[in-house]
Amino acid sequence: MHDTKDASTKPGEQGHEKVEEEAVRILTDPGSWAKHGSGTDEEGPRSETNGDSDNWKLQPGNRVAVIGGGPAGSLFSQFLLKTMAHLDIDIDVEIYEPRDFNFCGPAGCNHCGGVVSESLIQILGTEGVVLPEEVVQRGIDSYVMHMDVGSVRIETPLQEKRIAAVYRGNGPRQSEPASIAGFDHHLISLARSAGAKVRQQMVTEVDLDEGRPRITCADGHRQTYDLLVVASGVNSALLGLIEKSGLEFKAPTAVKSFVAEFKLGAATIERSFGTSMHVFLLDIPRLQFAALIPKGEYLTLVMLGDDVDQELVESFLNAPEVRSCFPGNRPPDNACQCFPRLNLSHVRRPFADRVVFIGDSGVARLYKDGIGSAYRTAKAAANCVALHGISARDFHYHYWPACKKIAIDNLLGRCVFGFCHLLQKLRFARRSVMRMTVIEQRTEGAIPHMSSVLWDVFTGSAPYREVLFRTLHPFFLGRLIWNLLAANAWKSGRRNRELSTP
Amino acid sequence: MSDLLGRNYQPGEDIVTEGEVGDCMYVIQQGSAEVIRTEDGVATVVDTMVAGDLFGEMAILEHTVRSSTVRAVDPVRALTIDRKTFLRRIQEDPSLALSILDVMCRRVRNLDTTIAHLKHQLAELSANPEGGSPDGSPGENAP
Amino acid sequence: MKSEELTETDRTDEADFVFKPVRPVQSEGQAPCQLNCPCSTNIRDWIAPIAQREHTGASLREAYEEAWTRIVDHNPFPAVMGRICPHPCESGCNRIGKDGNVSVSALERFLGDWALEQKLRLPRLDRESRDESVAVVGAGPAGLSYAYQMARRGYRVKVFDWHPEAGGMLRYGVPKYRLPRSVLDAEIARITELGVELCLGVRIGTDLSLEELKADHQLLFLGLGTQQGRLMNIPGENGASVWVGTDFLERYNEGHALSLGEHLVVIGGGNTAIDVARTGRRSGARVTVLYRRQLEEMPAIDSEIRHAREEGVDFEDLATPLEISRDASGALRGLTVQRLHPGKQDDDGRHVPQAIPGDTYYLDASAVVIAISQVTDWTGLEDAESMAGAETTRQPDSRLTLGGDVLRLGIASQAIAEGRKCAEQARGEPPNSLLADKTLPTVKVDHYAGADSVNLTEALPDERLLSPDLETSHTISENEFLAEVQRCLSCGSCLGCYQCWMYCNAGSFTPLEQGGPGQYFSFDSDLCEGCGKCIELCPCGYLSPK
Ligand SMILES: Cc1cc2nc3c(=O)[nH]c(=O)nc-3n(C[C@H](O)[C@H](O)[C@H](O)COP(=O)(O)OP(=O)(O)OC[C@H]3O[C@@H](n4cnc5c(N)ncnc54)[C@H](O)[C@@H]3O)c2cc1C
Ligand SMILES: Cc1cc2nc3c(=O)[nH]c(=O)nc-3n(C[C@H](O)[C@H](O)[C@H](O)COP(=O)(O)OP(=O)(O)OC[C@H]3O[C@@H](n4cnc5c(N)ncnc54)[C@H](O)[C@@H]3O)c2cc1C
Ligand code: SF4
Ligand code: SF4
Ligand code: SF4
Repeated sequence: MHDTKDASTKPGEQGHEKVEEEAVRILTDPGSWAKHGSGTDEEGPRSETNGDSDNWKLQPGNRVAVIGGGPAGSLFSQFLLKTMAHLDIDIDVEIYEPRDFNFCGPAGCNHCGGVVSESLIQILGTEGVVLPEEVVQRGIDSYVMHMDVGSVRIETPLQEKRIAAVYRGNGPRQSEPASIAGFDHHLISLARSAGAKVRQQMVTEVDLDEGRPRITCADGHRQTYDLLVVASGVNSALLGLIEKSGLEFKAPTAVKSFVAEFKLGAATIERSFGTSMHVFLLDIPRLQFAALIPKGEYLTLVMLGDDVDQELVESFLNAPEVRSCFPGNRPPDNACQCFPRLNLSHVRRPFADRVVFIGDSGVARLYKDGIGSAYRTAKAAANCVALHGISARDFHYHYWPACKKIAIDNLLGRCVFGFCHLLQKLRFARRSVMRMTVIEQRTEGAIPHMSSVLWDVFTGSAPYREVLFRTLHPFFLGRLIWNLLAANAWKSGRRNRELSTP
Repeated sequence: MSDLLGRNYQPGEDIVTEGEVGDCMYVIQQGSAEVIRTEDGVATVVDTMVAGDLFGEMAILEHTVRSSTVRAVDPVRALTIDRKTFLRRIQEDPSLALSILDVMCRRVRNLDTTIAHLKHQLAELSANPEGGSPDGSPGENAP
Repeated sequence: MKSEELTETDRTDEADFVFKPVRPVQSEGQAPCQLNCPCSTNIRDWIAPIAQREHTGASLREAYEEAWTRIVDHNPFPAVMGRICPHPCESGCNRIGKDGNVSVSALERFLGDWALEQKLRLPRLDRESRDESVAVVGAGPAGLSYAYQMARRGYRVKVFDWHPEAGGMLRYGVPKYRLPRSVLDAEIARITELGVELCLGVRIGTDLSLEELKADHQLLFLGLGTQQGRLMNIPGENGASVWVGTDFLERYNEGHALSLGEHLVVIGGGNTAIDVARTGRRSGARVTVLYRRQLEEMPAIDSEIRHAREEGVDFEDLATPLEISRDASGALRGLTVQRLHPGKQDDDGRHVPQAIPGDTYYLDASAVVIAISQVTDWTGLEDAESMAGAETTRQPDSRLTLGGDVLRLGIASQAIAEGRKCAEQARGEPPNSLLADKTLPTVKVDHYAGADSVNLTEALPDERLLSPDLETSHTISENEFLAEVQRCLSCGSCLGCYQCWMYCNAGSFTPLEQGGPGQYFSFDSDLCEGCGKCIELCPCGYLSPK
């Protein structure tokens, strides 16, 4: 099914059924986590060291290596250093990040849609992380949902932009970098100001040196640390290497997705897209979800699905619903393109003694708000390290719960996306969703049942659990059924008109 | 600025208004704003906020009315933080409350200084009834 | 915000959107240093085994040996050339714009010295020996290079030179403070160890005729160099206390004391002139160099001019002597000097100086050295002389080739290259020297970390003048060497940075079992998804767009 041969990036598909089965099992038997997360018995042998618990706490002068200066690595470093400073413990944090985020194009970029979710923006605000003007390419305040049965705009009730469209690197290939500062560059600079040392070196080997993690770089540099934090994401071969290194670790499964940038010019973007993100629910096989995100001069396309490839990209971009979004009814040649991998599962045990996996390399939120989950795991790991300790046991009790929460929510997320998938397949369902949303958006003061569900699905602002429970609410179901009937009762009369709308 | 995060406020515009019920707090992204408190009909500027500063946090912790008005001095861009989002996160990560504590500590410290200042003025006033501000408020802060 | 806006009418276009993959090819590009080296030394490729020894797992010694073996494939004199070559390779180095060129000469010198210390022997190419015998006239760099290349290919080689010792201008021209004779001797000895026979003190054309040589040998090479210094044709130049540069240096280098008196005036602006001037200072004379053009146009190596200034040599540019005056006894008294105007630029951009009428002055002098140019002494070799002018070196007699200064005045590196090329030509081999069809790669200098260039340490000017043969600059330390080696960007050749392999999502790159400098990963274009990321990541330009 997949053409990837590299073990590290092999998108080992997990059948949806199997996942849902697992969801049910976990929901009904929370105790089962202990077994397949990280067995308490596995943690048992630690007791011999428990008497000397200082061994498992960072001491002044200890060294921490962070592999990867993406959002997870940079935020972790910043949080850890700040908390340790509060505790008056002086430690060394070194971030290994070979990438220079000042490069244009994929060489300087951690490839993603660059949508910083509403909830993350707010939390970063409380953490004191302000995104400067050069970082935010556009504030987003609404979504336009496109389906074959029509389009509808969903707006926030607040007159406020709380979603940021950013570049992870320094903008697309050949862009003029002067006015752009990348999101990742900003975060790693904050980590640097907090005292982290950034080493522009690539890690090519991880092993243990008398119980302490040791890393080796492409240039031969080798160093042993007291704590190793792996934040390398799933878009490098590193996790595959770690799998083979003898550390008990199994890389998360990932699928191929697609990102491209189109140069349209600021005025065209302003005119045609404004401050809205455009999302598409189209009946194209293997396509899960696609979005167009307006930025400064460019428009970013993100396609998520089942092994997105060249063929799928073309069939999407040639779909009439998509073409009509572009001036001239056709997307221009794209400036930049890549097929990044999207984390689809979590690591069973994203930690060991003195080792912890954060961000995408541990667990990521399904399809949406990956940066948000990078933040959450980074924060949880930093708190665990600073306040509890660095043994597998500490991570099990104080870090793993945060991961588990995301992992469980992802299982529910699969149900939500299963529902979206159904929607893409069933025309009559699409009609009713469209009708319900259009009416809600048109009617002043209407309670936005459908709109808020869609908003949360698209923006990734609320946990999937909440979204799912809201859709199960009797009132919501009632409205939906009513709209199902209404939309499809009139369909004979309206079908032609709707189909003719571009 | 219109395409950036948050909401824009013109100079002189109220971001929050004393006495209103609120369910969010704010982080200033750009510009500065004054915190104004009205007592017996007299409005007093008690603090100034700049980019990165948080305010309105009381509304998140207890369901009460806004204790003061925050008014934009120059064009301000501010982001709201929902009570719901914040409380959801703080459950998972209590250390987030530290940032709120930081803000409160700063406020209390400012308050202490102001009280000390006022006490000093009051003492001077009673020793030397001719000098000082007649209403007893810190002169430079009077609107 | 600036950008070309797309208007709606611009592209109302019914054509389908077509995905355009951007895929890499692995292709070795030309390193500019090598392109600039007259000897086409594969600089990048000999630096690589040392710089990348972490990848190959080679020990330091193995890496050094590999590097040295690669150098001597082109040039058997690394310790010599590391000292005296003006290293034009460095002026082409891609690192210049970042934080200064790689100090190729310092590296070459270190490695050359190391090999001498280790007593490494020059490697042979062919094990079995051949019957043909080869005669080489001239034991300068051109002749010795040719002899070496033929000997390692199994030929019996005899080198004739009328000087008592081999080395040509390297021995009789270049002063000892720039090239210690122990270094020169050792690198020549390595060539004779290969079986090259030196017949010294024999002048071809007078002692032995070319015909006789032809009768005894199947192949001949003439590397006569230019031994005769030219005079200026001005009054007073014939007589005591006036020398031509090459004679002056030869005598000095042979240990003859020369009485220069108070003030030596040197005429010329090339390396010979500067060598004479610095040598003059070492004999205790005050020295002034007269040069026809402006100082900036002096052909001598910049560091040589700097060293001369440090040692107290005075320069007067835009000046040329009209007459050398002598007193009644014939003793030299001084010169009448004509001041010149820079003049117009010729086709090559060089100024053609012109006399400023009436603007002359008198300069006291006790000795004069004319170091303006040299020519070949063709006595008895007139038959071959016509070939020197011919562009191809093998026309009239296919058994005879020429190379080095005899063809045109140049630098030693060029002489060595010509010796090698003639040897390759004699064997009908394709020239190993040039990668003519390779393109210059796009090297992403920003991808490399910054690192300062090594500085040669030098003896203080006073020390140098006190001990005339003291070497001016020192060989760098091993630590400096290893740091400098890391500065090479490996332009156009895979250096095993792992970027493509680490970041290619498609897994198109696979580590090669036999990977090493030049290529570490194989590439499977069937897997490639066409994102083009690796091309942008590859620092050295080895991956380029298809
Ligand atoms: C198509 C697509 C669209 C997405 N869109 C969004 C979106 O709109 N919003 C959102 O919130 N999330 C989005 N995501 C998810 C988001 O990109 C990730 O969840 C997020 O980047 C994870 O951050 P991280 O720090 O864990 O890893 P990364 O961002 O992947 O960073 C990993 C870092 O580690 C470094 N590294 C890798 N290997 C090594 C090594 N060997 N040595 C040293 N350093 C190394 C890399 O250079 C990199 O900088 C999207 C993902 C995909 C695939
Ligand atoms: C003073 C001086 C300084 C220089 N400094 C530098 C420098 O710093 N760097 C640099 O790269 N280059 C320098 N050069 C140039 C360099 O030395 C020459 O380019 C190089 O030596 C030329 O080599 P060659 O083998 O062609 O000739 P030569 O070195 O001149 O060798 C020719 C040899 O042929 C012999 N010979 C000639 N005719 C006969 C005959 N009929 N029979 C037998 N033997 C004969 C001569 O005795 C001589 O030994 C310098 C030159 C001079 C004069
Ligand atoms: S960096 Fe190295 S390969 Fe490139 S030009 Fe300089 S010496 Fe040559
Ligand atoms: S990074 Fe991989 S997929 Fe992308 S162009 Fe290079 S080889 Fe192809
Ligand atoms: S990216 Fe690095 S490893 Fe890959 S081809 Fe280029 S130099 Fe070689």
